[in-house]
Amino acid sequence: MSQGLLIIAGLFLPLFPLSMVFNEVFDRVRAGKLRILLLLVWPQIGIGIAHSTGVEIPTWIIIWALLTALLYGFRALVLREFSLWVSFLATSSWAVLWAVMGGDVSGGALVFYALGFSAPLALLVLLGAELEKRFGAAYAGLYSGIAQTLPRLSGVLVLVVLAVVATPIFPGFSTMLSATINVLSQSFFAAFMVSVVWLVWAWAGVRLLQGFIIGESKNLTVSDISSGCVWSYVLMLSVLGIGGIYMIGGLS
Amino acid sequence: MGQLIILLPALPLLAALTNQLFSRQLGTQAARLSVSAAVITFVISVVLLGHILSTDTVSEVALGGTWGILLADPLSSLMAVLISGISLIVRIYSVRYMVEEAGYARFFMLLDLMAASLLIMVAAGDLITLLVAWHLVGVLLYFLLGFDTRSATASRYAFWTLITYRIGDLALVLAAGLLYHAYGTWSLSEIFAQITENPGAHQYFGMALEEVVGILLALGAFARSAQFLLHTWLPYTMDGPSPVSALMHAGIVNAGGFLVNRFAPVFIQTDSVLHLLFVVGLVTAIIGSVLMLTQNDIKKALGYSTMGQMGFMIMECGVGAFSLAIYHLIAHGLFKGTLFLGAGSVINEARQHDGVPKQDLYTFVVERRSAKMRQPWLVMAGITIAVPIIILILAHWMVAQDFFQKQGAIVLLFFGWVTGAQLLFATYRMGAQNVWRLVGMVIFSFAIIVLGYTVISHAFDLFLYPDPAFRSQIYSAAGIDVFWFDVLVVLTTAIIVAGWVLTYYSEQNRLWGEEQLNNLWLSFYALISREFYLTDLYAWLTRATLKAAARMNELLRWR
Repeated sequence: MSQGLLIIAGLFLPLFPLSMVFNEVFDRVRAGKLRILLLLVWPQIGIGIAHSTGVEIPTWIIIWALLTALLYGFRALVLREFSLWVSFLATSSWAVLWAVMGGDVSGGALVFYALGFSAPLALLVLLGAELEKRFGAAYAGLYSGIAQTLPRLSGVLVLVVLAVVATPIFPGFSTMLSATINVLSQSFFAAFMVSVVWLVWAWAGVRLLQGFIIGESKNLTVSDISSGCVWSYVLMLSVLGIGGIYMIGGLS
Repeated sequence: MGQLIILLPALPLLAALTNQLFSRQLGTQAARLSVSAAVITFVISVVLLGHILSTDTVSEVALGGTWGILLADPLSSLMAVLISGISLIVRIYSVRYMVEEAGYARFFMLLDLMAASLLIMVAAGDLITLLVAWHLVGVLLYFLLGFDTRSATASRYAFWTLITYRIGDLALVLAAGLLYHAYGTWSLSEIFAQITENPGAHQYFGMALEEVVGILLALGAFARSAQFLLHTWLPYTMDGPSPVSALMHAGIVNAGGFLVNRFAPVFIQTDSVLHLLFVVGLVTAIIGSVLMLTQNDIKKALGYSTMGQMGFMIMECGVGAFSLAIYHLIAHGLFKGTLFLGAGSVINEARQHDGVPKQDLYTFVVERRSAKMRQPWLVMAGITIAVPIIILILAHWMVAQDFFQKQGAIVLLFFGWVTGAQLLFATYRMGAQNVWRLVGMVIFSFAIIVLGYTVISHAFDLFLYPDPAFRSQIYSAAGIDVFWFDVLVVLTTAIIVAGWVLTYYSEQNRLWGEEQLNNLWLSFYALISREFYLTDLYAWLTRATLKAAARMNELLRWR
């Protein structure tokens, strides 16, 4: 029964091929606000179900989850479409939460860990909407060199992508560190997989940024985001940063 | 006084924040703010070093709970002076160098953040702080190298740097995880105390935990210090701004040597990790130097020179000369930083006016063609052998009585001997007016360098590792069985001497024809000029990975 519930949780804390359900739903939901809601709520359902079973997460599920995380991180390397990239990174990062659950972590902390992954992705959805508003579609490489034409948007995009790929001091960093420590007691291979997933995220993040930001600008006459908008993003990123510092403190 | 360590990263952080928030109002004044913060940081670091030198105290400052610990000890204070000094020079240089570039304030903000991260990294007293700073240095370097967002090439090679650094970061994360798991604390001093008290208490993979952690730490050091197989990013990152190259080659790439020194209490408990460091460092030193000699681009040649120097630094760690590696990285940081900052002027000057007389020295240094052999060959060989013996005796007399027992020191002198011998022969070949005076000067300068190196490294030894028992443990961990050590020395000497004899014999008797030699030389040159096809291999692997990812997406219908 418990293991059955864990498999159901695998819909929300994606385990391949159940992970395809989330990606299908995310693609079908087109409204930005709904997508943000989906990103924030979806993994919390999984945590609720998995936590309610009260059983220790078996190593085979952790390995399965880490393979899922690796698969989606790997596939994100070649993605050009912004929303698909968000969807794959969400799948990959939530799968890592299984490794965190394998350790001695409270339910409350897990909620924060999941939020730490979801919140930067939600910000990315907002930025994707800004890009689509200006260019019609958000494809990396199609409108390269936006650092010259849209410096504010580019700056915010860089910071948000850094948060998504678990750069210190954002919350993802402490989650990845926590996952590594938790699985080290069970299997060095699993800890190594967490590390590889982290590496692949960085690679995918840089490729996305390079597709949008780097290169000669194409003399596009589009307006940048307002300074008020920049401050809003900075405020949200600061909250994430403070949250990250707080979560690192909770690692001991 | 130890509390001053907090100010070291805090000041550049404050400058970075101010520059970012008020960049529009500040304009070019951003540079002045950054330089002012750098000057104060440098002064504080010198004061801190002076305090630690005079009082011999080590203090820890905890900013929060279990992490955010900053350590004011000999190693961190010494490294802080180096970092704050070099980053000050780089910032002063950038004031005019970058003035016409877009994003002037952003550049100084990034430099300030980099200085703060480096200072936190060297002062980190716990594993989390070290990991955070270590990771951030790689990320910031990516943005500094790819500062010109119009240049796809700069961005591409900045990415190479980032991904190599991330590989090293992950090894460090695993090492930190293992240490935390075994000792239940993030604090470095507590971990080191437990390891010293009870070495080999924990096992992993059927090995002592220290051995596994040592290997992972070594991997982290290899990636950061561009050791062979993880070196390809270093010579290609020349499209970044020159001040960034200077900072990278002088203050960032040598972090591997720092890491080994910081974790010295772990490394002395290992059996074979220091030998691994020696072998990797040796291979890197040789390959880096060989590749440097084939470069036509001055900045790329400097890049490979750094690789060779980093190999030598890691090799020093491998023979147990930990403090010598710190001296090496400081010396290298200063001269390589100067070379990078001066490279632009040299190139510009050379374009206007060559000015180098085409003599034997020119053909040897620039065209890399050696002069014809001159007699008497045996006298030169005799001098070559006499020099290291004299140096060893002087070192024994001036530095330490047990100098002969330190295998590491002897190995280093052995390398000094080989290098010096090559220099002596090469110099002798040049047609100087007074050959004996020239040779005398070469021997004198060589002896000064080696003796100076030995004396200074001994002083660094006393400062960084005041406990004689600990110093002896480092050399003991790096040492190998005396029998095998002697066998290796004899074998290496035999190979070198056989090489000399073979060259001499073949030249005298014309064993190989001109065409055969030329073909051999061209094949070797092709291999070197393609950098052993490693960059091609990595590029092919990257393309294959991306192709596989695309194929996978198609198969799974993008879900």
